[in-house]
Amino acid sequence: MKKALIFILPFLILPLFLRSDVLYMLGLSFIFVVYCVSWDIVAGYTGQTNLGHTVFIGIGAYTAALLSIKTNVPIIASIILGGIVSTAFGLAIGCVCLRLKEYYLALVTAILPLIFIQLANIYSNVFGGYEGLSIPFSKALPGGVIGNYYISLLFCILCLAFIYAFINSNIGLKLRAIRDDEELAEAVGIDVVKYKLLAFCVSAFFAGMAGALAVHYKLTAGVDFFGIPLMLEIILGVIAGGLGTFYGGIAGGFAIYVAKNWVFMQISSIVNSISPFRISDELILYAVLIVLIVRFPRGLFYELEELLNNKVIKERLK
Amino acid sequence: MIAEILVLGTVMGGVLALVASGFSLVFGVSRILNFAHGTYFALGAYFSLVFYLLFEKLLAFLPKELILLISAFLAILLTGFTGVLIYLATVKPVRNYEVMVILVTLAVALLIKELLLTFFSDVSISIPPFVTGCIVIFGIPVTYSRIIALVIAALSIATLDVFINKTKLGRETVATAQDVEAAMLVGIDVERVFITVMFISSALAGVAGILYAQIYAVNPMTSLRVLIYAFAIVILGGLGSVRGSILAAFIIGYMQVAVSTLFTSEWAEIVAMLTIIAILVIRPQGIMGVE
Repeated sequence: MKKALIFILPFLILPLFLRSDVLYMLGLSFIFVVYCVSWDIVAGYTGQTNLGHTVFIGIGAYTAALLSIKTNVPIIASIILGGIVSTAFGLAIGCVCLRLKEYYLALVTAILPLIFIQLANIYSNVFGGYEGLSIPFSKALPGGVIGNYYISLLFCILCLAFIYAFINSNIGLKLRAIRDDEELAEAVGIDVVKYKLLAFCVSAFFAGMAGALAVHYKLTAGVDFFGIPLMLEIILGVIAGGLGTFYGGIAGGFAIYVAKNWVFMQISSIVNSISPFRISDELILYAVLIVLIVRFPRGLFYELEELLNNKVIKERLK
Repeated sequence: MIAEILVLGTVMGGVLALVASGFSLVFGVSRILNFAHGTYFALGAYFSLVFYLLFEKLLAFLPKELILLISAFLAILLTGFTGVLIYLATVKPVRNYEVMVILVTLAVALLIKELLLTFFSDVSISIPPFVTGCIVIFGIPVTYSRIIALVIAALSIATLDVFINKTKLGRETVATAQDVEAAMLVGIDVERVFITVMFISSALAGVAGILYAQIYAVNPMTSLRVLIYAFAIVILGGLGSVRGSILAAFIIGYMQVAVSTLFTSEWAEIVAMLTIIAILVIRPQGIMGVE
């Protein structure tokens, strides 16, 4: 608990020093951390390769957007409803998909977001198509950039606290048992399907709320909430930090988001000013991703851990 | 209406069979789920166009058809080598980590999509057909390019079949698909088999891309859209079964054309995706799947 406070403290005073555009980006990075950690519940703790996490984010986002445009529900209700609708989809999708194993699960979940993107395009009069939807200014989070920053920081801390409690509870233990050996878990009396579904729903709930908050933060909702690039960034964040390590997911997610939306942007704008071809920040992201995976296929976290362990062993041998 | 779906669907099925059989072959032999497979489809078309534009100037004394054939041939070879190169550089180092293989191939697909966007921008390209003109079948005008596409697709698949069943390398491929370790034990160079299969698979996707670009058009986004159809086909046919994929390719081809004609082409993709899910719920191993 004390450790957590030490980590949170610098973020509380950051708004005093930073420019508002950086602050805006940091606020979004907290939401992105929730995407990452909620994905980790299913991928890292339950061991299910879910490549369709953006479905939950997108459903939450579009729910919040449509509620804000068509009705007059308060922001907080629209965020929670985003989570609930997303959970319902998680339940439905989970019932169908979770019987599948490995390759098949990865294939199907990879395709799911694309279905939603197509549907958003076909019914563009409702979902705004490729352009997306704009949210009325009255539905913005209060307090300007600084208010947005603190709200999303608070949201992030609350979500992380709940997720931390969840994965360290008895249920979390059962989920890890399923990840390590599904048949063994079933043999000792764990209802594997039920707990996988539960993990899916919890993951969907937090992702949906995060997506909904992002809509109120950015005041737009578009198909990029469902997009494959977003999914890849989430996976990259968690894998860089270490699957199923909680803190790794937080650190990795934060680092990736800041790298992509700040560092890579700067690099691409510098490159573009001298080269004739337009190099997008995404191009750099994918290149970095490929190098990272090829170089550290087990994630940076485990490689670092091993490096440290080796050092300790070597020192002891001396 | 029905005749149109039958005629156009057969051509579509042939092109899709090229894409899916390669995808399935790679999975069957090396258990690699190659998300970059659709990229080879797009690359085939783009390489072919670039070669054509290049040779049109350099070899202007040759007939146009010959230039098209030469550029298509070179593009197929280049696509094959690109596939092998991508395999060696990115997939091979992480082959033992299933999820990483998916991620790295997906990242490669997106990277190449971005590169295509950078160099060719977001417009659709077409390649001039080998032969122009059309004939009427069942009251439907069918361009020669479509008929040639079907013939080339059938020939390619027949060649693949002969390769797998009749040659030594082909039998080594089958052995590797059945049991990698046992294949190693009897002295098969498994790595060579993997590279061969990768070359064949990406070259086949390149052929499909060139044929498709002669009939319709290809843009940087195509690489991901084709992937959806490849998924639908291999899941319908069963992961790893090449014959199952060819059968399923025609089913999906007819379905794609039917839905596009009756509704819009956007719905065709949704129907393809829903087929995947429906198949997985009803019969997860597909029509002729392997474990």
